[in-house]
Amino acid sequence: MTTYIIRRLSYTIPIVFGVLLLTFILFNIVGGDISAELAGKAAAKETIEEIRKERGFDKPLFLAWDSQFVNHFKNALTFDFGRALDRESVIDKIKRGVGPSLALMAPMFFGVLLISVSLSLVIAFVRGTIWDVLAVVVCVTGMSLPYLSFILFGQYFLAYKWRLFPIFFWPDLSTAEYVALPVLIGIVAGLGTNVRFYRTVMLDEMRSDYVRTAFAKGLSTRQVLFKHVLKNAMIPIITRVILSIPFLFLGSLLLERFFGIPGLGYLMIEAIGSRDYFVINAMTYISAILFVIFNVITDICYALVDPRVSLE
Amino acid sequence: MVLHAILPTKIRGLDPGDIGDVYSAMVAAQCFECLYQYHYLKRPYQLVPQLAESMPEVSEDGLTYTIKIRRRVYFADDDCFAGGKGRELKASDFVFAWKRIADIKYFSKNWWIFDSRIVGLDEFREYTKTCKRREDVDYSRPVEGLQTPDDYTLVIKLKKPWPQIVYLLAHQPTAPIAKEAADYYGKDIISHPVGTGPFKLKVWHRGSYIKMVRNSNFRGEFYPTEGEKGDLEQGFLTDAGKRLPMADRIFFVLIEEDQPRWLQFLRGKLDATSIPKDNFGQAIDASRDLSPEMKKRNIHLKTFRNPDTFWIGFNMEDEVVGKNKPLRKAISHSIDREKYIEVFWNNRDDVAYGFIPPVMKVYNPEISKLGIGYDSGQAKQLVKEAERVYGGKLPTLKLSTGGTDTLSRQMCQFYQRSFKEVGLDVEVDYMDWPTFLEKVKTKSVQMFALGWIADYPDTENFLQLFYSRNASPGTNNFNYSNPEFDRIYEQVAVMPDCPERTVLYRKAELIVIEDCPAAFINHRVAYVLHHDWVLNYKPHVFQYGLAKYRRVDVTKRAAYKELLKKSR
Repeated sequence: MTTYIIRRLSYTIPIVFGVLLLTFILFNIVGGDISAELAGKAAAKETIEEIRKERGFDKPLFLAWDSQFVNHFKNALTFDFGRALDRESVIDKIKRGVGPSLALMAPMFFGVLLISVSLSLVIAFVRGTIWDVLAVVVCVTGMSLPYLSFILFGQYFLAYKWRLFPIFFWPDLSTAEYVALPVLIGIVAGLGTNVRFYRTVMLDEMRSDYVRTAFAKGLSTRQVLFKHVLKNAMIPIITRVILSIPFLFLGSLLLERFFGIPGLGYLMIEAIGSRDYFVINAMTYISAILFVIFNVITDICYALVDPRVSLE
Repeated sequence: MVLHAILPTKIRGLDPGDIGDVYSAMVAAQCFECLYQYHYLKRPYQLVPQLAESMPEVSEDGLTYTIKIRRRVYFADDDCFAGGKGRELKASDFVFAWKRIADIKYFSKNWWIFDSRIVGLDEFREYTKTCKRREDVDYSRPVEGLQTPDDYTLVIKLKKPWPQIVYLLAHQPTAPIAKEAADYYGKDIISHPVGTGPFKLKVWHRGSYIKMVRNSNFRGEFYPTEGEKGDLEQGFLTDAGKRLPMADRIFFVLIEEDQPRWLQFLRGKLDATSIPKDNFGQAIDASRDLSPEMKKRNIHLKTFRNPDTFWIGFNMEDEVVGKNKPLRKAISHSIDREKYIEVFWNNRDDVAYGFIPPVMKVYNPEISKLGIGYDSGQAKQLVKEAERVYGGKLPTLKLSTGGTDTLSRQMCQFYQRSFKEVGLDVEVDYMDWPTFLEKVKTKSVQMFALGWIADYPDTENFLQLFYSRNASPGTNNFNYSNPEFDRIYEQVAVMPDCPERTVLYRKAELIVIEDCPAAFINHRVAYVLHHDWVLNYKPHVFQYGLAKYRRVDVTKRAAYKELLKKSR
């Protein structure tokens, strides 16, 4: 297993290199020079030049030991992301955003997982009935509605009209209070896609011979569903679940913005909007690393839940 | 007593020398003061001393300004000072702040203020270019034009007369900075404002909220005892002579989306707000008055003109539009500005016929007859003339814009349709803001959608946009050049305020209108709502640190909560 893990982790190198190259090309070559914006509305040419020099934009792009790409690569490897366009340290920004993003995303993620897996088991059990059809219709409707409409509806009715939740972040609120509504909205909005996915997974299992055998042996529905079907459906569930974990750190752009949660999703979209290449670079790089690590964890989990899977 | 204010966008930093955006200035102005400030109530806008004892003494040749600084003004207590106690303000704190702006290693966005103005300051800037690192810059190096004969006197020597200097001395970036703060916090000074203002920063949770508390070291300042006509009746003089600031704390909350901002205002969590486009009909009725729903909530409306102009600019160095006046005029005549304002700005704004906004003192009331307005018939005629000038069918033109959002697209589609109606094909190049800015600065655009917000109430601030020596990458993004205009600009730029100057400003505007380096579109008119518990809420378009004048009637605030409970 150790050899396998080392081999898989070594794949990180080309992936990370590719990510760094891509972000570099997108923001340094395709996009324009941000020095003029940094210098202000009536900036002198010399100030723009000085900013270019300080930020290293005056250096060659690739072909030099001190090129912009080499520096970009070097800084990423040492986690030295420098200062953002507003002169604040990038790593400080990221550290500050992790907590709020996780406070929002973790309960949302586990809520969606728990409810959708449970619901899909029940729906799989009543497959072919009117309840199954109804559930599919509800899921498809939920999937078709834009995410934003859930937010606007939830904020207006649940928070403003019915006063069940706070409308927006306020410093005297506890974290639980101000994330409650966005978590609820996130769960409801995410159920459609997830229930449909898990329903398909469960149905594949329900049609298996071993399920019929289990029922023939006289096992109860609960035993069949939770002991046999769920266990055998774990491979696709694990894939989906573990690969979603890196996204928990990235937060949710719309929910964070509409509910005033100063997380990483918000940070990322702000950075894209203002072409804060330093923040985008750091976030992309960290995401890529997390993604690769969690990919390896997924493979290890396969072996743990299914003895037929070998990591050699 | 707490003020609840809104930040509709993230602020970049609280270091005055580096501030280049309105909202950072709005927050920083609560902590920092300048030599002068605008009178809170009087209109037209009038300067009064803030950290200065009186208005400057100006030498006869207009080249030397002597300013006495108030005594017993202290910086807010901060760790950067010995023992954490704020020290007394000295004239040298201004000199330090301005040298800092000149320092090229500091990358100030505000060098334009002093560029080629003060004797010896440009040389100081040249010297900083020779320093390898920021730390190597020697701030004790003397600058001939910035002298402090004693701790309470500042003498400024100018290279040539510059009557607008007094406005700049009320402009946020010229606020004094304590060297101790700059040294102690280094680059992190953006998060540690140490000023002499009425409030000081308590918490800045970046990307979320800011809390400010009273600065216990604040000098004695009092609410104005005089205002303009009508102020007494409107209750703006109720607090006349009272000590400032009135509020104990300010709480700024960042809400970038319209819906939560609007709902929080209606819920009574925010004291005031602008009206989101989609809620305009809910707040304002057809007669431009408050809707019954707003009146029932005791909400007040304040409308005021902003000192700005928005336009479609032409690059005068472009082979097609730059050399074809009939074409530029055709484009300008083709835009139905009233329709544009109706569609995109809820019919709020003023049509722009020239570049001087109505809020400026020298605004020409006849400009609607003299400027270029919507006339599709004339535009079509001019297109034919433009084709003759060009020598054939005109090519597809390109309009560049610095926004890729839905509103930018809709606005440009509106323009495209207007141009199409008079027989002009225009394609739009949507790009992000920095790319757009770079292209404008490098003269790489043909037509561009842009605008200008005045920094001070002197029209010279608009005129310099058309001065040939300010061509890109300077502020003259049109790359416009007219010797007659330049001559007038050079003449008025050094003239004090007088009727003759007003005549010249208007003449310069007409020259620009005739040459048409831009199709002027609109001047914004702001609509702001505030709850009845916020007192002394008089809008001001040039002064940012207004929180000190505002008072909250806590009984009325509590009554609003009751009103909401009853309406459930």
